[in-house]
This record gives sequence, structure tokens and C-alpha cells, in this order.
Amino acid sequence: MAMQATVAIADHHASPTYAGLSSSSFGSASQLRLSSASSSCIASSSSLFQGDALYSSSRGGALLLISGSKRRTQLGAYRPAAFFPSVRASSSASTPKKVLIINTNSGGHAVIGFWLVKELQSRGHEVTILTVGDESSDKMKKTPFSRFSELREAGAKTVWGDPSNVGAAVGSASFDVVLDNNGKDLDAVKPVIDWAKGNGAQQFLFASSAGIYKTSDEPPHVEGDAVKADAGHVGVEQYIASLSFSSWASFRPQYMVGSGNNKDCEEWFFDRIVRDRPVPIPYPGVQVTNISHVKDLSSMITLAIENPAAANGTTFNAVSDRGVTFNGLVKFCAAAAGKEPKIVYYDPKAAGVDAKKAFPFRNMHFYAEPRAAKEKLGWKSCTNLPEDLKERFEEYTAIGRDKKDIKFELDDKILASLETA
Amino acid sequence: MSVRFWKFDPAISYHILPPFVADIQKLGHRSSVLSISPCRCLCFSRLPSHCQRAAAAVQASYNGLHKIDMHRPCEQSSSLLWVQPINVTRAQKRGGVQCALAAATAVESKKILMMGGTRFIGVYLARLLTEAGHEVTLFTRGKAPITTQLADESDDEYKKFSSAVKHLQGDRQDFDGLKSKLSGSGFDVVYDINGREGAEVEPILEALPNLQQYIFCSSAGVYLKSDLLPHFETDAGDPKSRHKGKLDTESMLDKKDVNWTSIRPVYIYGPLNYNPVEEWFFHRLKAGRPIPVPGSGLQITQLGHVKDLAVAFLKVLGNEKASKQVYNISGEKYVTFDGIARACAKAGGFPEPELVHFNAKEYDFGKSKAFPLRDQHFFTSIEKAKKELDWEPKFGLVDGLTDSYKLDFGRGTFRKKPDFTADDMILEKLGKKVTVAA
Repeated sequence: MAMQATVAIADHHASPTYAGLSSSSFGSASQLRLSSASSSCIASSSSLFQGDALYSSSRGGALLLISGSKRRTQLGAYRPAAFFPSVRASSSASTPKKVLIINTNSGGHAVIGFWLVKELQSRGHEVTILTVGDESSDKMKKTPFSRFSELREAGAKTVWGDPSNVGAAVGSASFDVVLDNNGKDLDAVKPVIDWAKGNGAQQFLFASSAGIYKTSDEPPHVEGDAVKADAGHVGVEQYIASLSFSSWASFRPQYMVGSGNNKDCEEWFFDRIVRDRPVPIPYPGVQVTNISHVKDLSSMITLAIENPAAANGTTFNAVSDRGVTFNGLVKFCAAAAGKEPKIVYYDPKAAGVDAKKAFPFRNMHFYAEPRAAKEKLGWKSCTNLPEDLKERFEEYTAIGRDKKDIKFELDDKILASLETA
Repeated sequence: MSVRFWKFDPAISYHILPPFVADIQKLGHRSSVLSISPCRCLCFSRLPSHCQRAAAAVQASYNGLHKIDMHRPCEQSSSLLWVQPINVTRAQKRGGVQCALAAATAVESKKILMMGGTRFIGVYLARLLTEAGHEVTLFTRGKAPITTQLADESDDEYKKFSSAVKHLQGDRQDFDGLKSKLSGSGFDVVYDINGREGAEVEPILEALPNLQQYIFCSSAGVYLKSDLLPHFETDAGDPKSRHKGKLDTESMLDKKDVNWTSIRPVYIYGPLNYNPVEEWFFHRLKAGRPIPVPGSGLQITQLGHVKDLAVAFLKVLGNEKASKQVYNISGEKYVTFDGIARACAKAGGFPEPELVHFNAKEYDFGKSKAFPLRDQHFFTSIEKAKKELDWEPKFGLVDGLTDSYKLDFGRGTFRKKPDFTADDMILEKLGKKVTVAA
């Protein structure tokens, strides 16, 4: 069990290195890993009473670090804590980094890479995005890949290749940071991790999934909660931790909205609302989920890249800081479309439909909170779902999707089952 | 200066704490231990003898909230000092361990007026305040006993507390009487635990022009219902809610030139709860009855232990950060309605309960309440308090309900007799039979 201690901050006027530190830099006590007795991070008790810089502070707090025996963390190699383990994340870009993103060629995570490249380039970093597969593949006709010229215009390099042979795609280039936003298990990610280690990358980041949390009576999913033992992502996180990169972190996203999305999210609701169709929602509609604007994920990962010490050794729930019910989401989508929502509730089993195909989200409370990012990186969420959906609806109509001829087979099956019920 | 030790590994404390406490006391400070991390239990008798001696020394110098019971092994209770198997490093054996010392915000002794304080929150808060060296006066009508002994409180401790705490008799609804009773009384701080309406604040503020801080017990019930949750302190309040008086009081305080702090709890639970939250579930579990839950049972709410709430109230005292601030105070995690039933069963050692879901719209329960909690999602973020007050809840849900069961319902005490009228209506309509032990 990890040791616990509270850490108060010393008077930051006395130590200019930590200028700008605020109480937001206090890590949650359970995040701290305490060092062994021989570490340099212990101060003698007497010095505190001699008016040492350690003691005085505007809040009257002082520093406490209790030494203790080493503990293996859940994820493997033990790391001694820095003296001030929670360094306030700076808001301006630090040294420019060379970042390599291994990006999936389909699915919900694809859009993360798209936004992250843009954000990093705008902050002076040098990004290469390696998309899995061939540039000529049909998959590249969908967004965000169809818009990769925007990434090149921003100064990034776009390459294609095989994650099991990163070197073939990037040649002799070296990177400070490698992010795998592709694999779901060790088989897929290990070659990337090993290549990154051999390539001398200091920081390794992994896009995992909040779907690996075990279901519980007590939401939300919080970093540190139990995860499903068979989840492939867990093995990846453990392997990364064991390799002693200077810094590693894992990000667990949920669902995202944002321009360039590869997988439908809000579009599923707009499709029905704009055609005046009822929106079938699995009963009771109060299920809570977390729909983030992808810029929240991009900003969180950027903060981790710019503050590797603060981010080190952490799994971050990469989500907004508000949950929304299915009912609420329909209401917001309808408001964005300027329509009245029409909801019908159904039981997937009774209707004879596969819940996964009939509805875009898991039929349960699936709600994580981004507590680690707030505590360790001073990150703030910018998702504002009602407003974000308005912007999403504008694009939805601008690309003509509201006029598209769509079949609603599963919807019709559900509605039919409700009539005969 | 009052020095508090926070959250350290008890195994370390046996080696480090006694000489520390001695040093601190030599320097003329009071010391107290406010919280100890719960961890795996080790029987005292299995500790090495030098640790047993150290543990006894800790107990002797110990002056805090949590008791050390050396002879009750392996129980899940936060009022016990848990002992982790000691992994003594070479450095520790050589005595080479060095520790930096945490000094809590030094709050000098205050003369405190508590409005109410005899029933639930105040019972625990008054104890924390007197132990921290403050002078506490409870303002009540005198209808209930001023103090009552806690189930896990020794006679000596209770005697010490009951003789320290003072009483001022009066009816706070008599504004003129209240004002004259408080004028010139010299109270530094007011804890308003039982205030309901904004107008109730005025006589107190007029009588105490030099008041250093007005700490108000508000409610998360002030929040306007929303599809986006959790509620943050910046969210809109509902001027039409049942708790609009609390919202009014907060606005009133903000308008006056007073240093105020407002605490918004969600559902409070714990021993001596007079609101039938956990009690409602315990009655049904004890009677072996199914538990009726409205709707799907997926409604998410939040329970906070009264002892954690009391500590939060203590943390805002004399705290500059808390000036004119509102804080949500409740548990770290939220919980579904179904989940509360299961957690209560675990807490009381009952078998997994049968849950019966019903559609509340199909019934007219009259005056009987079919379920003790509001039928909606209702939960708040406590991150502001955690960040600014260096506070965090000590009790997880099952731990906290166990504490409540052990010290209250499980001993045969409760506030309201069970009323199964609504339950029976539901069960009858759903064609369910109840086989109840006589």
C-alpha cells in the first residue's frame, strides 16, 4: 500500500524555482511515492523551528515528508519522489519537444492525434504523426485523415507505416516524446515501446481507455480504481512503467466530440433530431456518461508533454469534468438543432436488438472524472457541451449530412417492438 | 502553537512520534494527532516489544480525535489505530530516520458561539473545537440535553467535554432577545449550524460587530437541478427550492461586511443522524424486508460522514482562504440508490438485500415517504475544499456506514420508528409477499 503523507508547500518567495506555485500544486497524498530514508528529500526537524525557508509560508503550513520503507507501486518499478513532487504545470510552452504520435487509422481515438498535432505545433513543438497502414488505404478517405493537409500546413510531418517497424517509417529521426494512440494490448504496443526506448525517447505516453475500469456502485471512475484484469491496456501500462523512461503516463479517454471525428458521437443524435424522428434511448435515460470536447484531451496531453516531471508515473482520466445523462444529451443536441426532443425508452433485450449496435454509448453509468490531471497538472476542462454541440451542429449541416439519406433499421425495429408491446 | 500530525503511517509513528511529541511539548506547544491512515491491522500483542512500548508512549502523549485501542485486533474502524506490519529499515534501526514536522495552521484560541450544536453536526464539531483549545458556547432553547455521551466515548472524555462546553439559553427566532443576549458577549466566531432564513443572521451580526468569522451550515440543496453534473460551487442556485432560505442566508452574509464561510453538505450520515438516511435502510434490512427503490435505482447521489464534515468545519476556522467562500463537503465518491442499499447491508453484516423497483407516479403515499432521498441525480464536486482547505474525507461509504451502524443503529438506537406503510402499498401492488420475522 502506498504510503501517505500530506505535503504542504514552503514559502515560494524563498525558492524562486517554484515561483508560481499555488495550492493547486498539492498532489493528492495518495499520488505521492515516498522515498526511502536515505533520500535527500528529508529535512531535519530542528531546522523547521529555526525559521528555515521550509517552515514559513503564507498559510502557516510546512513541509512534511515521512520516510518509510520502500513500497512497490502497483505498476512495478519504485521511483523515489522528488522533494516537491507536484510541480505546478506552466502555461507557456517550455523547451520545444520532438514528438512522435503513432495514430490509429480508425475509431474514436483517431481524432485525438489530429487535434494534438495542431496544438503541439502551435506551441512550438515538432510533431511527426505516423498513421498505421497505407496512405492509399480507403480508410484515409474519412476524417480526420482526409484533412491531414491541415497538419502539414501547420508544420507537422505525416507518415504512414507499421507500428512493429517504426524505424522504417521515421528513418533515423529521434524523438523526445512518443505517444502510442493506436494499440490496445501489449502485442500491438510493445514494438513501439521498445523502439522508443532504444531510440532514446525520454517520455512515453499511451492512449489507454476508461473502459477498463471495473463497474461499481460508486461512480465516478477515479484514477486508482480497480480495472478489469483481462484488459489489454493494463498490460501495456505495466510494461511502460517497468522500462524506466524519464517520464511515462497513460491517458484513459471516454467519448469525444470535435471536428474531424472518425467515429459518430453527436451525429447519431442529430441524424434523428433533424429528421424529426424519435430518439430511442435505452431505459431509463438517466445513465451518466462523459462526453468531452477533444480539445480537452489535446490540452491534457500537451500539459503532460510540457511538464514531464509532474506527469510522470500517472494514469490520467482524459475526460471533461462533467458527466451528462443520456436524456440531457438529447436535450442539448435538440437545442443545438433548434428542435424539440422526442425520446422513446426501450429495453434492448425486449426489443431484440444488440445494445452496442443500437446506441452509441455503453448502456450503463460510464463516468470517469479527470481528478489526476487537475491535481497534478493544474489542468482545467474547457468542454461546454451545450455550446460545443451548437458548433458541431453547424458543421453537421455545413457538410450536408442533414440531407443525407440514412436508413434507420435498428430504430425501426425498436419502435415496432414498442408498438406491439 | 497547536501542532497537528497528519496522516502518517502508524508503523513509523511508533519509532518517530514519541520523541517528537516530547520535543514539541518541551517547546511549549500543544500536540494532537488528527488523522491516521487506516491500514491493515496487526494485533498489538504481535508487535515487537520495543514497538509495544513506543505505542504505549504514543497513547500517553496522544491527545487527538482517534483512539488507540491496543487490545482490539483486526477490526475495520476508523476510531481504532490500525497498525501496519512494521518493515523496519536499517536506517530506522540505527535511529537515523529524520522527519520534517508538519505544523498546522496555527489558529489561536477563539471564543466560539455555536447556534444549535446539540443534535448531530455540532455534537462532533464542538468536541473538535474544545479539543483544539477553543471556548465553545452552544446557543439553544434548552429543550434537548446540552451534551450527550457518544457510544465510543469514555466517561472521562465525556466529563472533560461536558464541563468545557458552555450553554447560552434562548430562542433564536426571538430576534430582539437574541440580539440583547449576544451584545457585549465578545464572541469571536459564530458557527451557525441550524440557521434557515436570511433574516436570522441580522440580529447576530448586529450584536457582534467585531465578529471575526461567520461560518454557516448551508446545503447542496440550493443548487438548481441540472443535466450536467457534478455541481460545482459556481453553479446556479435555485431561488425556488425548498432550501431557498439557505441561499438567501448566503446572499445576506455576502452583502454584509462580514468575513463569512458557507459549507454545503449533501446527504449527511453517521452515528446520531436524526434524518432517516441510513436508518431507513437499516430498519428494512433488520426486518428482513425487501427495499423499495423508486425508478431504476440508477439515480446517483452522495453521502458524507458527519465526522468528515465536522473536520471541514474546523478547517475553515481562521482560514484566510475560506473568507467569503462556499464549499461543497461530502464523500469522495458518489453512489447509486441501489448501491446505498447494498452498502448498508455490508455495513450491518446483512445478506445482500432484495431490491424492489417501483414507479412512484403510480402511487399516492399520502404523508408516508416511500424513499428517504430525492428522486434525481444529486451530487457535488468536493475538489475546491480538497484543494483549498487541505481536507479530504476519511470515510469511504461502507466504512462510514459501518461506523454509523456500530455506534448507533447496531446498538439498538435510532431516531424514528420504522413505518412500512408505503413499503406495503408497493409490495401489494407488485404482487410481492413479505415474509417477515415476527
